[in-house]
Amino acid sequence: MGDQAEGLTNNSSETNIESSGNQDELIMAQQRQIEKEISETIPLVGELEAITTLSSEYSTDEVYLSKIKDLVSKYSHIRRTRPDGNCFFRAFSYATLERLLGDKEEFIKFYKLAENSKSILVELGFQQFTVEDFYDTYMEVLKRLADIDNVEAAKKELHTIFNEQGYSDYMVVYLRLLTSAQLQKEQDFYSCFIEGNRTVADFCHQEVEPMYKDSDHIHIMAACSALNTGVRVSYMDRGTGTTVTQHDLPEGCIPTVHLLYRPTHYDILYV
Amino acid sequence: MSAMSPSERRLQKELMSLIKDPPPGVTVDAEQAEQNLLQWTIFMEGASGTLYEGERFQLQFKFSNKYPFDSPEVTFVGSNIPVHPHIYSNGHICLSILTDDWSPALSVQSVCLSIVSMLSSCKEKQRPHDNAFYVKTCSKNPKKTKWWYHDDSV
Repeated sequence: MGDQAEGLTNNSSETNIESSGNQDELIMAQQRQIEKEISETIPLVGELEAITTLSSEYSTDEVYLSKIKDLVSKYSHIRRTRPDGNCFFRAFSYATLERLLGDKEEFIKFYKLAENSKSILVELGFQQFTVEDFYDTYMEVLKRLADIDNVEAAKKELHTIFNEQGYSDYMVVYLRLLTSAQLQKEQDFYSCFIEGNRTVADFCHQEVEPMYKDSDHIHIMAACSALNTGVRVSYMDRGTGTTVTQHDLPEGCIPTVHLLYRPTHYDILYV
Repeated sequence: MSAMSPSERRLQKELMSLIKDPPPGVTVDAEQAEQNLLQWTIFMEGASGTLYEGERFQLQFKFSNKYPFDSPEVTFVGSNIPVHPHIYSNGHICLSILTDDWSPALSVQSVCLSIVSMLSSCKEKQRPHDNAFYVKTCSKNPKKTKWWYHDDSV
């Protein structure tokens, strides 16, 4: 500890004295209002929707429309997630478990991997009782899902769990911790992807472990390797071309989870 | 005992661990915390060999019912506020893990350790350069300040 960035000033010193002080509070109140609106209108994890529903979001945007056409040729459905900065971790966690529910053998393997993960985190220097808090909930969810024999019923339970903020956020935190652990375990490899002069540990403390921080390639690679799985991400933006760009992470993997990335946001895709 | 909320359960665990195994120079007012889990007073001694050796400080921790997803509100209180480039004379502390870089995997203990290390690495006792202005205009709650964190070695 002690390697966090500490500050010298706050930004109110940049503003003049008449409008000062409560400026910060106004900005933050506005941020909270936006967050409140998002949380009231967009579920943490949505229902399955036909992929064609995307078109209605871009009715006049030719670039997007042609890319959606391409996406429709590859995928049938989309499941949206709430854009709260945790979307990659929530989507990835949900999609991974959803797939495993249909494959008992793989589920058992995953369960064992999760069971052994706590000691890895503690060995890396995470405090035992904070890790335990999240580990216990994570394992409780896996047990609850394992106890349901009917696959459809289990998927329904998964959906319910991921839409209960209490459980859903615990799942996100635990995956963030596993991702951080993976980055730190293989820091020689990952350090080349980190810009500036931050160490891998600094990066983890600032960009991986805190909630609501957006995810990048490096988070995805580490999360995949922590859960021993692969992801295909379809990138859709206003850039040139008429097709979506696809990346498999890690490179050359057989992807088990498919995600759609639009600038700053991930949703789940279904073949 | 009535059912505890997740944040109370977590705080209870943290309190027990802090009483049993506190970082050097750190003590929690256990009696007060047990009466109200959402507000703790923590005493901190300046580490020997540092500019704060022999001094005693008092920290106030306030928790919301969203803890540990929300960071605790942490301020120095009482008559002796450490003179430090990141600590304002009203007790507010400019430390990134208290806002932007807070993670639910951190704890009261890790916050205490960070503050101890921040004090210990100080080379010259002085207030932040904008102290007078900030103290006059800031909100009572330091979490309502949008801090600019400087990657300082202080």
